[in-house]
Amino acid sequence: MRKKFVTIANSAVPLVFVGLLLVLWECLVRVMAVQEWLLPGPVRILETLCGNLPMLLKHAQSTLLECLAGFVIAILFSFILSFFMEEIPLLKRAFYPLLVASQTVPIISVAPLFIIWFGYGMLPKVIVVVLVCFFPIALSLLGGLAAVDREYLELFRSMKAGRLATFRMVKLPLALPSFFSGLKISASYSVMGAVIGEWLGAKQGLGIYMTLAQRSFQVDRVFAAILVVTLCSAALFALVSLLERLIIPWNQKTKWREL
Amino acid sequence: MPEIVVKGVQKTLAGLLTLREINLVAADRTVVGILGPSGCGKSTLFNIISGLMMPDKGSVSIGGRDVTGQTGLVSYMHQKDLLLPSLNVLDNVSIPLVLKGTSRKAARAEAAKHLQTFGLQGFASYYPWQLSGGMKQRAAMLRTYLFSSDIWLLDEPFASLDAITKRKMHTWLTGVLEQFRPTVLFITHDVDEALYLCDKVYVLSECPTVVKLELSIPFSRPRQNRTILDQAYGAARDAVMDALSI
Repeated sequence: MRKKFVTIANSAVPLVFVGLLLVLWECLVRVMAVQEWLLPGPVRILETLCGNLPMLLKHAQSTLLECLAGFVIAILFSFILSFFMEEIPLLKRAFYPLLVASQTVPIISVAPLFIIWFGYGMLPKVIVVVLVCFFPIALSLLGGLAAVDREYLELFRSMKAGRLATFRMVKLPLALPSFFSGLKISASYSVMGAVIGEWLGAKQGLGIYMTLAQRSFQVDRVFAAILVVTLCSAALFALVSLLERLIIPWNQKTKWREL
Repeated sequence: MPEIVVKGVQKTLAGLLTLREINLVAADRTVVGILGPSGCGKSTLFNIISGLMMPDKGSVSIGGRDVTGQTGLVSYMHQKDLLLPSLNVLDNVSIPLVLKGTSRKAARAEAAKHLQTFGLQGFASYYPWQLSGGMKQRAAMLRTYLFSSDIWLLDEPFASLDAITKRKMHTWLTGVLEQFRPTVLFITHDVDEALYLCDKVYVLSECPTVVKLELSIPFSRPRQNRTILDQAYGAARDAVMDALSI
């Protein structure tokens, strides 16, 4: 009983704190009479959010679609690449530096190229999301595979297990906890990737909505869009955490941790 | 007959002569203990016997056949239980059967028959993290048995257990050995454990390792968990202690 109370109290503390910050923000905006196109108060933002909800949801839908598509493709790629890199050491030595080097190329600088090559449709955004998500996922999966206790591998070798069986029964399950931590990082990155892709030009999406609102100094709309982006990221993160619990319920480290 | 003969095995690891010359014989259906100081290459020796590692010189034969460097003939149990955290007890212990090509369902049915003997009845659907240390070791032992029923290499199977659990495991293991009669090579640091469980004990020297003492245990394994009062016990214990220079 007491423990439950403590848990509730613990989760209430940040909520109360955020609430206080919002109240402070609203008061400052009102007292100092800040122009609305400079900084609107939270109440105004909430009003805009409610007023534009149907439109925002439509934009959010295409952004989320790009995220999910890119996310799934990145996961598939990571699995395929990690499998071959783990099983063929030469491939790992050849690809690993390339993989790290690829991350030094700022995504924002190559994204316009995708617009030139693939137009204003969904494809260039999906590519940006894949590029953003791929690295943390592949790296965590490779790390997890490499960290598998050698003794497990020896045990399976002594039992004459084939490489495929060893990969499926030992390496992959033991690498999954690490894979999921990478996946969670990617989940929040993916929305950012899609928004960046849309900034540069799109038919629909939260990114283009933000760009348009910003150009017409509708700062309240920008804030409303930011709020929706944040919620999308959080929702994806929660989805991955849920999947983690469903897929590796045996993992102690995640078992009792809160979302 | 699964008699294990290790003849003139030499192995250099990372430039260090680890095993200088190891000769040992484990007669069919006997339990042979291997004692030695830390880092003397006992695990290397097991890796060679199980075929995971090739010796630089010498040979390993089982039942008169040279099997140097061949895996899959003996069952190797490590000090760690090495149960897969992703599988429950039943699936964990049926791994060797699945690897041999038995269907998952048949493997489960076969493994389930032995849960009772290994003190795991009612725990089939438990995951490794839900088990006590002793149970995990018994599950690992069952997996070992299901891979090969006649030759077991046990590498300090009880080293991670507390003294009481360890003692219980000894009594239990005596019964299991009695029932299945495998040929066992048993690495341990515990002199009393070796004298209690084994028919013969080899004491290894420090690195580069040779066999320092070969001692047949003059008394039979006790049927119950009683203090050994045999006259020969003290002499045997002293001999082993001397060889270990404790």
